Amino acid sequence: MNFDKEVDASGLACPMPIVKTKKALADMGAGQVLRVLATDPGSLEDLPVFAEQTGNPLLQSGEEAGRYVFYFRKA
Amino acid sequence: MNDAAPANLTQLVIWGGFALAFVFGAIAQRSNFCTMGALSDIVNMGHWGRMRMWLLAMGVAMIGTGLLAWTGAVDLSKTVAQRPVMPILSLLVGGAVFGVGMTIAGGCANRNLVRLGSGSLRSLVVLMVMGIAAYMTLKGLFAAGRAAWLDPVAIDLGASGWKDQGLGSALSRLGGLEARGAQLGAAVVLGLGLLGFALKDARFRGNLWQVLGGLMLGGLVVAAWYLTGHLGFGENQETLETVFHGTNSRTLESMSFVGPTAYGLELLMLWTDKSLHASFGIASVLGVVAGAAVVSLATGKFRWEGFASLGDLRSQLIGAVLMGFGGVTALGCTIGQGLSGVSTLAIGSFIALAAIVLGSVLTLKWLLWRAERA
Repeated sequence: MNFDKEVDASGLACPMPIVKTKKALADMGAGQVLRVLATDPGSLEDLPVFAEQTGNPLLQSGEEAGRYVFYFRKA
Repeated sequence: MNDAAPANLTQLVIWGGFALAFVFGAIAQRSNFCTMGALSDIVNMGHWGRMRMWLLAMGVAMIGTGLLAWTGAVDLSKTVAQRPVMPILSLLVGGAVFGVGMTIAGGCANRNLVRLGSGSLRSLVVLMVMGIAAYMTLKGLFAAGRAAWLDPVAIDLGASGWKDQGLGSALSRLGGLEARGAQLGAAVVLGLGLLGFALKDARFRGNLWQVLGGLMLGGLVVAAWYLTGHLGFGENQETLETVFHGTNSRTLESMSFVGPTAYGLELLMLWTDKSLHASFGIASVLGVVAGAAVVSLATGKFRWEGFASLGDLRSQLIGAVLMGFGGVTALGCTIGQGLSGVSTLAIGSFIALAAIVLGSVLTLKWLLWRAERA
């Protein structure tokens, strides 16, 4: 999937993946896609809830090369 | 009082503690129970789901513990939380420091035990450093400062005629109510209020694991009080004194993880010292790890995890030291004071919990501010 910006939160524990995602989305324009990389297992639960709560849809999530990958569209 | 042989009572308390903590760890793993995560959800996205689970657990623990005390099954005035001398500065400073530490370390002691069970070697390091710092605060370098500067700033409620720190005693002294009934009344009113707040949200009610998690975690706190305060309360057949068997504090205990982690390290390092023994707290620490491990393996969530960068290692170590110091100084962690202590309605436990929340929220806001400046 194509994306406009990437945040690498690998190796960072909760709450940093959310903090970095929130900051990145704030700097993006509506419709742009953000890719987030994380290794914290908690991000599997936290980031989908973040998408739902903030209204920035989670387009896709999965695992690549031992890291969790999330794609958000900025609302 | 239990008339069984002391050795049997000690074994019962230790293995019972392991079993209860096993369930605690399993549920915490499955429901993603995390105090710091709950606060982060509110600060970063205005989501109260995990906090509702936490408050549900607290409400259940309050009502259940209140009923235990009212029926006379346990004497809460003997708990550490309800001691009539309230070390107010230790509770405030220790609580706030713990709150900062758990936020920097990515979770409190309980969360790191659950993570360890799920394969996080990073959490193993955090817990070992936290345990060392906690031991230093119990008996080492940090203890000197705590005892000299923090603990002496205390309020002696006993001098004003209070039997303990419970809200029942407060209502008795200030409102002329009968203390035992007032304690139960306060527990039921506060507990039902928390249950009502947690369950009024339809979305939360629809999350079976969170609702079940809240109910069971609160129930386990009550069960632990019953185990150590009733089943483990017996007579020393040599001295004929009544004693609480199998606890480090030599009184009744419920779930708490900072001090017990330190005692666990002490036991491992001084194994040949015959004065040291396994305890309810040490077994609880191991039980949480085991319960989380079984669930994470069964659900395919077990995953080896280490430190990814020097910066990550640095922040986790700082957080671990702060948690060790803060958890002992405040007489408990998010679970030890936040659930177990608060379930006794000890005023000091409410103060410690408020300080933990304040320290954590301010640190979360600082992390966000720092990220926005980067």
